[in-house]
Amino acid sequence: MLIDWFTVIAQIINFLVLVYLLKRFLYGPIIRAMDEREKKIALSLEGAREKKDEADLEAKDYRRKNREFDERREELFSQIREEVEVRRKNLIDEARDQVDTGRTKWYEAIRKEKETFLQDLRWRAGKQTCVISRRALKDMADVDLENQIIHVFIEKLRSLNDDELKELKESIRQSPQKISVRSAFEVPKKMAGEIIEVLRNQASSNVDVRFEISPDLICGIELKFSGRRISWNVADYLETLEESLLAALESKAEKAADRLSDK
Amino acid sequence: MHITPDTLIIFQWGPVSLNGTILFTWCVMILMVVGSWLITRNLSTETHLSQWQNLLEVLVTGMRDEIRDISSQDPGRYLSFVGTLFLFIAVSNVLSIVPGYKPPTGSFSTTAALALCVFVAVPLYGISQKGISYFKQYIEPSVFMLPFNIIGEISRTFAMAVRLFGNIMSGTVIAAILLSIAPLIFPVLMQVLGLLIGLIQAYIFAILAMVYIAAATRVQHPK
Repeated sequence: MLIDWFTVIAQIINFLVLVYLLKRFLYGPIIRAMDEREKKIALSLEGAREKKDEADLEAKDYRRKNREFDERREELFSQIREEVEVRRKNLIDEARDQVDTGRTKWYEAIRKEKETFLQDLRWRAGKQTCVISRRALKDMADVDLENQIIHVFIEKLRSLNDDELKELKESIRQSPQKISVRSAFEVPKKMAGEIIEVLRNQASSNVDVRFEISPDLICGIELKFSGRRISWNVADYLETLEESLLAALESKAEKAADRLSDK
Repeated sequence: MHITPDTLIIFQWGPVSLNGTILFTWCVMILMVVGSWLITRNLSTETHLSQWQNLLEVLVTGMRDEIRDISSQDPGRYLSFVGTLFLFIAVSNVLSIVPGYKPPTGSFSTTAALALCVFVAVPLYGISQKGISYFKQYIEPSVFMLPFNIIGEISRTFAMAVRLFGNIMSGTVIAAILLSIAPLIFPVLMQVLGLLIGLIQAYIFAILAMVYIAAATRVQHPK
């Protein structure tokens, strides 16, 4: 007999038990594990997607910042270039100003030096001229220089023209005590009396003359009244010498300035 | 020589007899359950798996996909029944290479028991899915078809049982006959063929069971 009913029933029971056991030990755990893994993978994929989105955002932000930084840098560079240009111009202007100021000061110093030198020269030359003249006059004509000067001065007073006379009179009339005769040397009393005499004659009035010694006149004598001056001194003769010296000095100074600017 | 392991009586107590079929079935059951327990007690939910877990996952996933393809439904409620049918028959047949082992599927009692299980499971699944309206399919297209439908149900169950029994039993018998005629090499090839047939029969049995269940549970959309 091929079929044994007891075995059939036993096998049905066996099969049902096996179904239960496999469900308990095989399908259940395996499916749970697979579901869990799928969830984990889905979660990690989700996380990866989020991170990718985040990274995309970050990258976008970074690119934007980079662009802004580049723009800002360019802006700053151009600003700095402009500032540098302005600063360079300012510095060049300042330097130019300083050079100009220095040159002006230098010219001023040269001018002052020149003036001092000329003044000194004039004084020395005058003095020397006086000494030479005095000695020459003394040696050759046995004449005193000062006396000769006063004589020339008296002659000048005598030969005043009408305008001068008129002014002299007017000046004496307005302030008789203000007539003063300045000289580089002391006028001898005799000569002084002679000068006063000539002045009184010319002004036709009593004149109070005051004699003053002024060394800067350099061997000369002068009379001043109401802005007019009647004098004789070496300074007049020295002016020619001064002019020629001045011309020589100026040409030398110009050459020196050119050399300086070339350097 | 025992054509079927039913005849291999180990213990007899009145009508209760412990024959080879039951004993080998128990062996297969123990092997499957203990194996499953050993593998699934330390399951990994990470992406790195053990080889055995991977094997079981491939098996379970394959069965689920197959059930889903056939039934177009969620495989969850059918997996235990259909999957166990396939695994039990497959393991029973594959173990036939073990010397001294007689596959329980070579017993008509076993195949009849499995076919009876399918015979009962089909209406149970049908009723759980469609309720009483499940029985309407027996009187379709007309009430006169009721006896034929019932005969069809019984005959296909019988066919399942006989098909599996015949294939496995024939394999065993052919191996025994060939062993007596040409004892060298040739029986090995037949044994290999027997393994292939065993796996194919397991697949056919499970697929047929699933097809019957799917037919019973498929919701008829009104035309």
